[in-house]
Amino acid sequence: MTEHTTPLLDVTDLQVELITARGVVRAVDGVSFTVHRGETVTLIGESGSGKSTTAMGVLRLLPDGLAVLSGSVRIAGRDVVADPGVAHAVRGRTVSLIPQDPMTALSPVHTIGRQLGDALRLRHPELSRTQARARGVELLAQVHITKPETRWKAYPHQFSGGMLQRILIAIALAGEPELLVADEPTSALDATVQASILDLLMELQERTGIGMLMITHDLGVARLVSDRIHVMKDGRFVESGPAEQIVARPAAPYTRELLSAVPRLGAWDEGEPVRQGAAS
Amino acid sequence: MLTYLARRIGQSLLTVFLTLTTVFLLVRLAPGDPAAAYAGPTATSADLDAVRAKFGLDEPLVNQYGIFLRDLFTGNLGTSYSFHSPAFDVVMSRMPYTITLAVSAIAVTALVAVPLGVWMARRADTKRELGANVLTIAGQSMPDFWTGVMLLTVFAVLLPVLPASGFTSWSGLVLPTVTVAVLQLALVSRLVRREMTTALAAPYTTVARSRGVAERALAWRYGLRNSAVPLLTALGTRFAALLNGVVVVEVVFGWPGVGSLVVRALATRDYPLIQATVLVTATLAILVQLLVDLAYPLLDPRVRLGKAA
Ligand SMILES: Nc1ncnc2c1ncn2[C@@H]1O[C@H](COP(=O)(O)OP(=O)(O)O)[C@@H](O)[C@H]1O
Ligand SMILES: [Mg+2]
Repeated sequence: MTEHTTPLLDVTDLQVELITARGVVRAVDGVSFTVHRGETVTLIGESGSGKSTTAMGVLRLLPDGLAVLSGSVRIAGRDVVADPGVAHAVRGRTVSLIPQDPMTALSPVHTIGRQLGDALRLRHPELSRTQARARGVELLAQVHITKPETRWKAYPHQFSGGMLQRILIAIALAGEPELLVADEPTSALDATVQASILDLLMELQERTGIGMLMITHDLGVARLVSDRIHVMKDGRFVESGPAEQIVARPAAPYTRELLSAVPRLGAWDEGEPVRQGAAS
Repeated sequence: MLTYLARRIGQSLLTVFLTLTTVFLLVRLAPGDPAAAYAGPTATSADLDAVRAKFGLDEPLVNQYGIFLRDLFTGNLGTSYSFHSPAFDVVMSRMPYTITLAVSAIAVTALVAVPLGVWMARRADTKRELGANVLTIAGQSMPDFWTGVMLLTVFAVLLPVLPASGFTSWSGLVLPTVTVAVLQLALVSRLVRREMTTALAAPYTTVARSRGVAERALAWRYGLRNSAVPLLTALGTRFAALLNGVVVVEVVFGWPGVGSLVVRALATRDYPLIQATVLVTATLAILVQLLVDLAYPLLDPRVRLGKAA
């Protein structure tokens, strides 16, 4: 069905070599996958299997001096491996990142309104600050931040991790991307908060048809959100397929290991513990 | 906030008082006789005794200290032996020159070191960055009289475009300013580079880059802004130090500031003048430090005054 349209993300034989103190490490060793509009594709694997390196490679966010990329990564048809300029052109417009640790992902000395407003004005330079603020407040409401007007002027340290991740999702959405890359977006959060963030991402996807590349080490998360799953180990895919198939009939022993370690997801709970000193 | 201010002001007063007491004792315990300096080489011992009596130096040290304290709390810092006028007034007549030089040197330092540090951070570990680094360190390692004399030779003697000495016009400010700034440049630019490198490697920078923020904006808006607290601390500390007078530079350029005044006060053992200088410069330095501390919460919302961040 989707074979005839250009995929949002088309990765072919991507290799990433990291130049480290102990020599060159091939962290990603020839992976290929696609993400279409409205689809969630998940890379799952244990820590160190190369998931983040793949995600950062796709966005070309690995420092040039540290990483050597080969293969191709076509975002909406344009190859970011061949041309770094493409990466600059698509970041924040065609593709946005949702980071792993929301607590360190925002500049601590700028208000969240400033950072969200900047993201909006980057995409729409014609917006005035007031207009950007109106739109930003709307976005914050969309990610279920209560009292967004008063929180506009708050700083990151005044929010809980779960709220920060919602704000980061709002910031990612500010660029009106077609593709979200989410690198373990819930692994730094409490179990109950995890569920509400995944819920939010799925709600957004349903509404906007955005494509999603989800990174996780948690098969429970993968099962919940994915259309397709690629199981990653030592920089390669050991198994790929539709989510139900991977979960119900895992072929690789490694996948079965991951399955046996599935942690339970927390209740579908909206409540989030708020850190001390949080904005009210 | 008010408690914090009260505590800081209390601490400051105590610091100034202890500094003054130390200086009071040190100048009197150090070798040298103000009476001899005052009365000149031909003075007889009777002359010297007369001078000592006039200045109250014939009293036991404890009494001298008592008188000093009594005068201090009535706002009297004594009369300068060599200027024959109130020591405080003599110091204050020199302060504008020292403040002018300090402000101008810190401004030039910031204007050059901040862009230089940002540039170095963005081109970290390239040959050109290394070159810039070596140049600033060379500037810092040069003795200030050497820098001063070199600049004088080139710009006042070989191509006489700037005045060599004194403060007759604003152009007289240029060479002393450059000499002082060259000393500060390496320190401040490398601090900016270090802080910026940390900020540019922070996760929030990568996340900002992922949403399309340009490299230039990353450096100036995120990197520099996140380096503001250590930068302000460094500039504040340097500025406070400059307010004590830049002795060598003031002497080389004949700059009529507190630095050259201190040299003269020490040479003539002008105790009241030394004490007044210390009081004024220490108070100013502490005031600058207090203002810097008060600015922290404005620069970093996580900082609460009087508490750990
Ligand atoms: N900055 C780095 N320096 C050196 N090695 C790294 C660096 N980042 C990742 N690696 C190595 O690359 C491999 C893949 O890491 P990563 O992509 O972070 O895995 P994952 O996200 O699946 O946990 C690991 O072997 C890791 O040790
Ligand atoms: Mg990872």
